[in-house]
Amino acid sequence: MTAPAAQRTAIVTGASRGLGLALTTALVQQGWHVVVDGRDHHALAAAHASHPASVTTVPGDVTDPTHRAELIRAAGEPISLVVNNAGGLGPSPLPALADVDLDALTALFVTNVVAPLGLIQEALPYLTADAVIVDITSDAAVEAYEGWGAYGATKAALEHLGAVLAVEQPGRRILTIDPGDMRTKMHQEAFPGEDISDRPTPDAIVPAILTLIAGDHPSGRYRATAVLTEVGS
Amino acid sequence: MTATDTALASAPTATAIGSASITSAVSVPDPLRFDLPAALEATEPPELTLGRRDAVRLMVSPGDAEPIHAHARDLADFLDPGDLVVINTSATVPAAVDASAAGEFVVVHFSTELPTGLWLIELRHPVDGAATQPHGGDFAGVDLRLPGRATLHVLGRMPASARLWVAALDLGEPVVGYLERWGKPIRYHYVPATWPIDAYRNAYADEPGSAEMPSAGRPVTADVLASLATRGVGVTPLVLHTGVASLEGHEMPYPERYRVPIETARRINATHEAGHRVVAIGTTVVRALETATDAEGITHPTEGWTDLVITPARGVRAVDGLLTGWHEPEATHLLMLEAVAGRRALDIAYPEAVRARYRWHEFGDSHLLLPSTPTGEQGPAWARAPRPPRPDVAR
Repeated sequence: MTAPAAQRTAIVTGASRGLGLALTTALVQQGWHVVVDGRDHHALAAAHASHPASVTTVPGDVTDPTHRAELIRAAGEPISLVVNNAGGLGPSPLPALADVDLDALTALFVTNVVAPLGLIQEALPYLTADAVIVDITSDAAVEAYEGWGAYGATKAALEHLGAVLAVEQPGRRILTIDPGDMRTKMHQEAFPGEDISDRPTPDAIVPAILTLIAGDHPSGRYRATAVLTEVGS
Repeated sequence: MTATDTALASAPTATAIGSASITSAVSVPDPLRFDLPAALEATEPPELTLGRRDAVRLMVSPGDAEPIHAHARDLADFLDPGDLVVINTSATVPAAVDASAAGEFVVVHFSTELPTGLWLIELRHPVDGAATQPHGGDFAGVDLRLPGRATLHVLGRMPASARLWVAALDLGEPVVGYLERWGKPIRYHYVPATWPIDAYRNAYADEPGSAEMPSAGRPVTADVLASLATRGVGVTPLVLHTGVASLEGHEMPYPERYRVPIETARRINATHEAGHRVVAIGTTVVRALETATDAEGITHPTEGWTDLVITPARGVRAVDGLLTGWHEPEATHLLMLEAVAGRRALDIAYPEAVRARYRWHEFGDSHLLLPSTPTGEQGPAWARAPRPPRPDVAR
């Protein structure tokens, strides 16, 4: 029993809210079947209640290898897109490196580096020939912002994994995308108590990510805002 | 009110259906518009007023040709041997349950089970008597208390819906059993009394799960099924559990759970291959079949949830004809009817139905939409010599 329509399948992690939710909703509108995860199973299910036919929710934590295997199994067919969007920020408010709790730092590397690579490893045998892998990164990976050392180091490591993977898998497109500051729960945790309503919503950033996925952009690092400017001009 | 009081306008207009707050509504450039006189709203089951369910009237629209006036019991006369009728065997459950939300009395309509076991529900508040209206309040995070020591935790709004909420249930037993024990049939303002749940079940319904009656099948009685068999018309089942209707909000249809069995898919493909017609009993059957049918017109056995919206632009692939009720002005179901029969057929049929005083809604009269060009070798039954009239209503 197969779905009648030729539907492409994507995996998007961390899709209960924010960028992951906005991206999933946009992919569904383009006709994708999307397998999503999130740690709060009620929040995940409620967020995708409009699209039970197009979205498969698999509650769980990306740091759990069994859960990553479940995501691949739930996709159930050739996978055309993997988006490593789930990620942690670490302790809030952001501590200086001198004060970073090393156990928390280790855990953050597991969430932001080991888990995404684990999902890619698990997915590789099932990817379509033209599959795209997207890793969501941050400008904290390349800029030295006070307090962002731990998080920035994990994202720098993630970016490097993507760069090497692109060399090792020359037939595939591995896109490392910096969405820029957005009005999300994670961004609010980075700036507790501050008004972040001047930041764009994730919905405003999604078109740039869709453009990168659908286009023929080669593997590499992209800033979403630059893509939006490019499209707009 | 007389027929001259009713206006029908289908002039092109840029007005979209629905309210601006509903993001899931699609823009319809040219909705079918007409005034529905209140006198044409059926308010009680025809078995009470006419003696039989199949005594309701049936208008047949053979494509763009002049409509034919008949009765539902004559359905087989308009089909050919080899045609295949597809029925939805989902049974209506009493899906409305009284509840208390922080001291306020509300009515919960159980709409649709999600793959996760959560439920889509609608919350309504009572107005004069036993009727209810959509409740505009914010229930996110609220715990509802239901009879039988049951509770229901509202997680939040269904995305893009003004009416539905996502809820986690703690009923202490399976949902259908709970609703059979504590629920009442969902009914709307135009039905002034509460009828027993059997009034909302089709003769062939056998799998409880629909929040509202798949009512096109109401006049398809055991006698009508027998006459179809006698004529050589096939009958085959599928299941689609209906959610709450979008009658009041003019929203697009919500996701619904369905199943097209393997034998049904096989018979539909064989019917098409033989050049015969597949006739859906109700819009629910169209939605399920079109979900299960690919771009080449092959129907596959499938099950799951469907959020398919059938519009004239999308068209239909599996269904050649449709038996349905009479739909409200600008209802989104009219888009599906237009996809099946074409706009011209509706522009002819709806004013004629108002003129001839057909009756609307789930207890009302029927409408059979057929393709213009008969696919059978002998032409359609209605083009041949008329049959002797049958004895009327009786028994």
